Amino acid sequence: MSSEVMGYNAAMGLGLVEEMRRDAEIFVLGQGVATGGWFGAEKGLASEFGLDRVIDCGISEAFEAGLAAGAAIVGMKPVINMGFGDFALIAGDEIYHKLAKWRYMHGLDVPMTAVIIFPIGTMGGAGPEHSSCTEVLGMHFPGLKVVVPSTPEDAKGLMKAALREPNPVLFHSVQGLGWARGEVSTDPEFIVPIGKAATPRQGRDLTIVTYGSMVPRSLEAADTLAGEGIDCEVIDLRSLVPLDWDCVLESVSRTNRAMVVHEAAKTAGPGAEIAAQIQERIFFDLEAPVLRVGGKDFPLPQHSDLEAMSIPSVDAIADTARRLFAI
Amino acid sequence: MPAPDPALLEQMFHRMSVARAIERLMLVHTRERKFSGWWHPGEGQEAAPIGATAALERDDYLWYQGRGSAWAIGKGMAAGLILGDLLGKMNGATRGKGGGVPHWADYSIGVMGEGATLGSVYPLAGGSALASRIRKDGRVSLADFGDGTSARGTFHETMVHAAAWKLPLIYFCENNGLLVGTRLGEVSPTENIADFAKGYGIPGIIVDGQDAVAVYEATREAAARARRGEGPTLIEAKVVRRHGHYAGDPQKYRADDEFDDYRDPVDVLAARLRGNSAERIAQEAEAEVKAAYEEALAAPEPDASVIERDLYHVQ
Repeated sequence: MSSEVMGYNAAMGLGLVEEMRRDAEIFVLGQGVATGGWFGAEKGLASEFGLDRVIDCGISEAFEAGLAAGAAIVGMKPVINMGFGDFALIAGDEIYHKLAKWRYMHGLDVPMTAVIIFPIGTMGGAGPEHSSCTEVLGMHFPGLKVVVPSTPEDAKGLMKAALREPNPVLFHSVQGLGWARGEVSTDPEFIVPIGKAATPRQGRDLTIVTYGSMVPRSLEAADTLAGEGIDCEVIDLRSLVPLDWDCVLESVSRTNRAMVVHEAAKTAGPGAEIAAQIQERIFFDLEAPVLRVGGKDFPLPQHSDLEAMSIPSVDAIADTARRLFAI
Repeated sequence: MPAPDPALLEQMFHRMSVARAIERLMLVHTRERKFSGWWHPGEGQEAAPIGATAALERDDYLWYQGRGSAWAIGKGMAAGLILGDLLGKMNGATRGKGGGVPHWADYSIGVMGEGATLGSVYPLAGGSALASRIRKDGRVSLADFGDGTSARGTFHETMVHAAAWKLPLIYFCENNGLLVGTRLGEVSPTENIADFAKGYGIPGIIVDGQDAVAVYEATREAAARARRGEGPTLIEAKVVRRHGHYAGDPQKYRADDEFDDYRDPVDVLAARLRGNSAERIAQEAEAEVKAAYEEALAAPEPDASVIERDLYHVQ
């Protein structure tokens, strides 16, 4: 199968382009999308698909998300680039009530496709209102699917899956990985199924459950730990809703130790749910408590040095892993 | 703009009479069966929804607010689906999820549903209107709202875009002058909601909301304008909320003489019918509603499996 090396945002954009070519019901709307998008994912869309399907709008996130709900309800497939995950909170009613609950509360079992792109996480001094990891909101409010790709190929494959998914998807693109490069399948039928985790590293001693920006850091920590005789398995969840529990539980029941790593704030972050379920479901397989490594429970600082100190480092991940063997 | 023909007038009167019969029945039902109070009576406001929906085509998109039942009835939904839902029965529109606040939808007749966070359908209607522009399907979207929700941010966010993009959208305000118990004048800088239209460069039309025919004509004109690609219209129907905000509201905030000039929309429309068909149609409507109510009372209650239904669609 042919592939080509490309950046994460470009790969996400390629997934969008391929799906727009095969489905005339897809349109893209957001701030600056017709001029190429803030982070380059929408480059070339307007010239190929025209301004009817690639639409710039004003600064109006609640409108954008509500418009997505309305268009999706009448059967179109809107893709909204919300600019930043933080802006989910500006459009709370439209995302967590309308997109998530409209069919449920009207008693309708019908398809409804919509993709809301939320760039999340730190990117070097974007500040406390442009750096949050908001993906846990989609786990708490039912009715949405939630994905967080960590590689260019997953960014493409999950975007394509989201546009073929008959349910609204919150698509979290990782700002810190926006320019990361990697091999990407050029097969137009290549998709990454929503709800399926990947295991980029197999190991026997410890399962590191992670996703998004912390996948490369966890892999790096695993390399370090391998030199100390700790053989880590790293699971990249890719989707948080639905979450691939089979993959997680199977791995932990083999390694007997687990930790969860994410950039999102630690308290009540996705790791809290994952750690709790592992302990509820396979407690007697565990040799040690499930530990969590997450972002600090503070707003992300504007200062990029302080920002870097606010999220898990490779060392912090490795240190936590060592603790699991000292218990 | 032509007035509705006699057959349409009779259909409007029939649907208004059905909505009125549901109102009357729900007042009794609430009192006698200690209904939860989530019913928000629409008696006295029926002319606006009946007139507006009569002016729409079957496949035009209606996004309504939750007072009364006349919007859904006007767009062609059966009384049985509404009563079944109000009583929380499996034969209701939501198939067992109801209980007062309307979430009646039937996409096949353009009843798109209701957002119970008040004033939340503006951007949704903007979305369906944008879809129509992309698809060039000639459909019109109507966002119905109460005067109180003109304060909401998405009122502005949506209309600013709809006006700039000339979307086929109608903002339809039912102005009853009350936000639960607060007078609109205390929280709005304009005397009329239609005054906001000036800022968007769109027509702002004030219409007698007790007269279904006047509402029909205004909405017909706005829909024609939308279909010609000339963009949105804001219609403000001056209506009267005859009852409390919710069934059982003691309404201590209302003046004694508030209803001295009240004109019942049923009487106003009846006077426009030919001959003495009004009485016959009203009786038929009442019988229809009574039968639907009996059927709803006898219909099965939902079981716990309904809780887990309709969250995700599986292809």
